[in-house]
Amino acid sequence: MKYLLRKVSNSLLLVIGVTLVSFVLMVWFGPDRTYGLIGKNPTQEQIDQVRRQLGYDQPFFARYLDYLGDLATLDLGHSDSSGESVSALLARTVPITLALMLPGFVLGNLLAMILAMFSAWYRGGWLDRLISGLSVGSMSLSFLVIIIGLQVLLCTPYGLNLFPVRGWNVSDFGSYLYHVTVPTLALVLVSIGYNTRFYRSVFIEEAGRDHIMTVRAFGASPATIMGRHVMANSMAPIITRILFSVPLVVISGSLLIESYFGIPGVGKASFDAITSGDQPVLKAVVALTAVSFVLVQLAADLLYRAFDPRIEQAPENGSARA
Amino acid sequence: MKWLAANSTAARTWQALRTDPWGLAGLAVILFFFLLALCVWLGLLGAGWAEASGGRWQGPGPDHWFGTNMLGQDIFERAVFSARIAFEIGLVVAVATTILGAGLGALAGWRAFGFVDDVILWLLGVLDSIPFYLLVAALAYAMQGQPLAMYIAMVFTFWTATARLVRAEVMRIRNQDYVKSARAIGLPGWRIILRHVLPNTSHILLVQGTLVFVSAIKAEVILSFLGLGVQDGVSWGVMLAESTQEVIAGHFGNFLAASGMLFLFLLGLNLFSDALQDALEPGSARLRSRLFKAPA
Repeated sequence: MKYLLRKVSNSLLLVIGVTLVSFVLMVWFGPDRTYGLIGKNPTQEQIDQVRRQLGYDQPFFARYLDYLGDLATLDLGHSDSSGESVSALLARTVPITLALMLPGFVLGNLLAMILAMFSAWYRGGWLDRLISGLSVGSMSLSFLVIIIGLQVLLCTPYGLNLFPVRGWNVSDFGSYLYHVTVPTLALVLVSIGYNTRFYRSVFIEEAGRDHIMTVRAFGASPATIMGRHVMANSMAPIITRILFSVPLVVISGSLLIESYFGIPGVGKASFDAITSGDQPVLKAVVALTAVSFVLVQLAADLLYRAFDPRIEQAPENGSARA
Repeated sequence: MKWLAANSTAARTWQALRTDPWGLAGLAVILFFFLLALCVWLGLLGAGWAEASGGRWQGPGPDHWFGTNMLGQDIFERAVFSARIAFEIGLVVAVATTILGAGLGALAGWRAFGFVDDVILWLLGVLDSIPFYLLVAALAYAMQGQPLAMYIAMVFTFWTATARLVRAEVMRIRNQDYVKSARAIGLPGWRIILRHVLPNTSHILLVQGTLVFVSAIKAEVILSFLGLGVQDGVSWGVMLAESTQEVIAGHFGNFLAASGMLFLFLLGLNLFSDALQDALEPGSARLRSRLFKAPA
């Protein structure tokens, strides 16, 4: 119980921190929105009125509390550029982003785990060196290079010209595959190097333990050893990594992929907000992702505790983050 | 290497590096790019990067080795000049990150589980919870077109990994006999940290520095594409951002030149960083460090 209280209060402090950062950066230090919202030649009264509406006459803490209240009630205001309410915008764009990013995220992790198993099993052999070499190669490629390269190779007449150059026109499963393939490939390519390395080191550490030696001595097959014993005992770092990378990969990845391919997801919406200085959208996206990330962290800590009572004190924000 | 004190960390590292062909290859690539950057600094190469010296989208030829871009600027000159920018970004961010991360990480580790530690850990947790590109976007938004926004954002996000590693290492070192003795003879804490503790985290700082160098260069590309990166200048990121408009029309000069040099340089840095890790931390589960800010 004490543990629970400590974790929850810790997360509360983190929530205060991330909202404070986004508030300070975007509202307190952010540009004055007064003149964007009123017409030409305003009177002093009109200016004062808009400033009052925006809360510019309030002291720092009053405005911060106001901002917290808006976030808590999901009253996120309206986009400066389209006038659409920010909650409606998010409800429209988030599902698209999930549909776009999920296959690449899952495949990028699954393929990496399989490669890492071979690498760990044949540690030091030619296959391990080949896989490790390819991982370093993938780590040396910029996301933007991968995207442009794939687009040229797969979507233009200079290459195979199989997939659309840009856009998101999805009505059934066929059209979904048609549009999702190239972004998925890009996501797999950019993440597989880092993932493979991570899983390889986890598996190698686990495979060196005594109980694995025993299983080996009893003559279990490689598939049983790696799949059942090593994998099962590596679940903690694996789950941590996956949980922790969801918000980062989904947001950072979709920002680039969606703005490049012109896909109307939350990444494209953030990109448009960045380029046009659309403060309500930007601050909602920043604050909501950060807060949900804190909640994921809390959930992960509590889950570990539930599954493995030995974990008295979860290692410093999840062991895999060291 | 006579000038290295026998058996010093540097000498032992060099011994281990010498026998690692991939690490040496990486070092050679880095030196090659450093020479390029040096020539640009001295004005020997890349001086004409901004000048429109040819026609629009000329193909490769004797006058323009990689052809020209939309404005008729020489792509070879621009690609070479960008080597300097890449070094500047990588070095500035790596050095600033190391100083900040080592300083606050050591402080937190020295005062582990105390109030100072709590505050620093809280700060780390907060910064790690905000996705990188959104933090940059927020900073850029607050700073409105300041060219420094990119650097500040990178340092802000990258120092946390260094600080966590240094903190853990300092917590270990703190209980070593030599630190206890230094305390027993009454040395002030800051002197123990500076003279006896921080130098013993140098293996972490070096490896972490190379990793940050790589991350900074990769992040610059993405930021330049988003319009938040290098302003009024040229870099591989700017060239790639330009090329996004060109490849559809079949002009690949910018894309091939920038991505080729970028890949080669990053490969060299990654190989060298791996070799350094093997040399400095033999046996340790390599890679614990190279995780998070990864997919970029």
